[in-house]
Amino acid sequence: MKLAYYPGCVAQESGKELDMATRWVAKALGIELVGFPSFSCCGSGFMDEANEVLNVALNARNLSIAEKAGLDILTICSTCQGMLTLANVRLGDAKVKARVDGALRPLGIEYKGTTKVKHLLQVLTEDIGLDAIRAKVTRPLDGLKVGAFYGCHLLRPADEMGWESPEEPHAFEDLLSVLGASPVYYRGRVMCCGFPIQFVKPSTASKIAGNQILDAKAHGAEAMATPCPLCHISLDAYQNKAEQAVGKPLDMPVLHLPQVVGLAFGATPDELGLPRHLISTAAVTARLRARA
Amino acid sequence: MSEGTVKATFDIYRFEPGVDSAPRYDRYVLDLPPHTPVLTALLKIRAEVDPSLSVRYSCRSAICGSCAMQINSKSRLACEAAIGPELARDGRIVIEPMRNQPVLRDLVVDQESFWRNYGKIQPHLILDPRHPMPEGRENPMTPAEVDRFKETPRCIACAACYSACPAVEADPEFPGPMALAKLYRFVVDPRDQGHQDRLVRIQTEGLWLCLRCHLCTEACPKDVRPSERIRDLKEMAIAAQGATEHGSKHAVGFKDNIRDRGLLNEMKLARQTMGVVGTVGQLPQGLKIWRKKPEILRAPHVIEGQEQVEKIYEALDDHKTPEDLP
Repeated sequence: MKLAYYPGCVAQESGKELDMATRWVAKALGIELVGFPSFSCCGSGFMDEANEVLNVALNARNLSIAEKAGLDILTICSTCQGMLTLANVRLGDAKVKARVDGALRPLGIEYKGTTKVKHLLQVLTEDIGLDAIRAKVTRPLDGLKVGAFYGCHLLRPADEMGWESPEEPHAFEDLLSVLGASPVYYRGRVMCCGFPIQFVKPSTASKIAGNQILDAKAHGAEAMATPCPLCHISLDAYQNKAEQAVGKPLDMPVLHLPQVVGLAFGATPDELGLPRHLISTAAVTARLRARA
Repeated sequence: MSEGTVKATFDIYRFEPGVDSAPRYDRYVLDLPPHTPVLTALLKIRAEVDPSLSVRYSCRSAICGSCAMQINSKSRLACEAAIGPELARDGRIVIEPMRNQPVLRDLVVDQESFWRNYGKIQPHLILDPRHPMPEGRENPMTPAEVDRFKETPRCIACAACYSACPAVEADPEFPGPMALAKLYRFVVDPRDQGHQDRLVRIQTEGLWLCLRCHLCTEACPKDVRPSERIRDLKEMAIAAQGATEHGSKHAVGFKDNIRDRGLLNEMKLARQTMGVVGTVGQLPQGLKIWRKKPEILRAPHVIEGQEQVEKIYEALDDHKTPEDLP
């Protein structure tokens, strides 16, 4: 399988560990990641608040790059997934398409609208398939109770994202089960992590993050896992602030999606960038070592 | 079980503040056809099993907006949700009152904050006495003007969105999805003469606390799509007034940030949103993160084809037209 790899801004910088883990897992599964140094930022759900047409045009450019190469796009961020998919949807509006084409045509860029955008979670559960994943598990996750945390833009608006139930998804939990973990079902798994207002009103953002972590904890989660590096920032890098906001200890390791897969496939914590997390993942890795 | 029915198990939230020490869930098991609306089941329980069950309802036709509640953790109109699909999941239906509003009794909540927030957006036409409406006739609108309302006139004020919203849960300053969708409806109304004031005011009254999580859009039984109209309001507010608040500075700063390199420069964005002073306030946390993730201080590389990005900005940002607005 060959895909146009769209890592997104965060995984190329402060969320580098997500990129490391993705490459490790892709190699293990024989997925060829084709990089395009010309990909730009997706707009992250902020740019379009200032100028939607501009944001759609930038993403039409991104989509055209993969189209020209004849590849589908692989995203590893719920927000990139949402924004690129949304561009495909918005281009269905003749008025928007005319404005965007008008800006791209003089640059010799044409986007016909054929690029499919797939998140790693979708590729793993649908294209690779759970049986093939199961076959690669060398170190099952020992029943570790993991609360999946989806990230809004992978799921909603559901009629535009065209994937799982926006309120009762199960792909992530199905995957966790195959890896030997025990998925934890809690309301917060489809809620917001608070990240979008981290710069607007940090106290509220942290309270929202804390609410979801508390909910996962109350349902027995020993770790959380997310397919979105922005959620990871909110839940991991700012977890100390979330703790202050809800006034309760949280101490919740938060893994990126490909890190969970990599651990079950036998990768070392260093290979997956686990030491880069703000909240220690030692409780998770110690448990796997004990079993091995 | 008679033919064509299913055994339906309901776990219903019961609580009367001041009387009960804590909420409890009472279980009721009924044989019902799978197409039975949840509200019909609740009324049957009240009529035949437990007359003390409190539930708010009126029209039973998804028009009055009275019977919103949580059905298996989702905000729904009880008169519209059939029991069959809900039972399919784990064989039972958990019924709870709406969230984000205090419980008065069982499934009935106090909607005071919901209506107060609605009132704050001035949900009526603002008319300028110097420009009176034409006398002796109604105020016609063109089809194009009507289209700008999008789905917002469908709202029945059931508060399902308010119940689903994590920003409402965390911050009483956020007016909630319904109030903002209604605000949009007045901002685009060609008869309303308060557009500019409305957009300026909402920038400081909670607009930028919307998370764009789209939970409201999923919860809405009338497909009003509040989250998408809130995005429209943000773009219109910036066009009307410029970036005056942290939220609008963040949106505009993000847009401008990508122009230089094609990728996000995280440190620069902090300065663009919060200013130098605000960024200094974030330093202790920034240092904590920097120790593990030194890249946060680094500017990203410049993408190949950055000059194309620049040209796209010239075409659509420098020369943005009023037609580009929602």
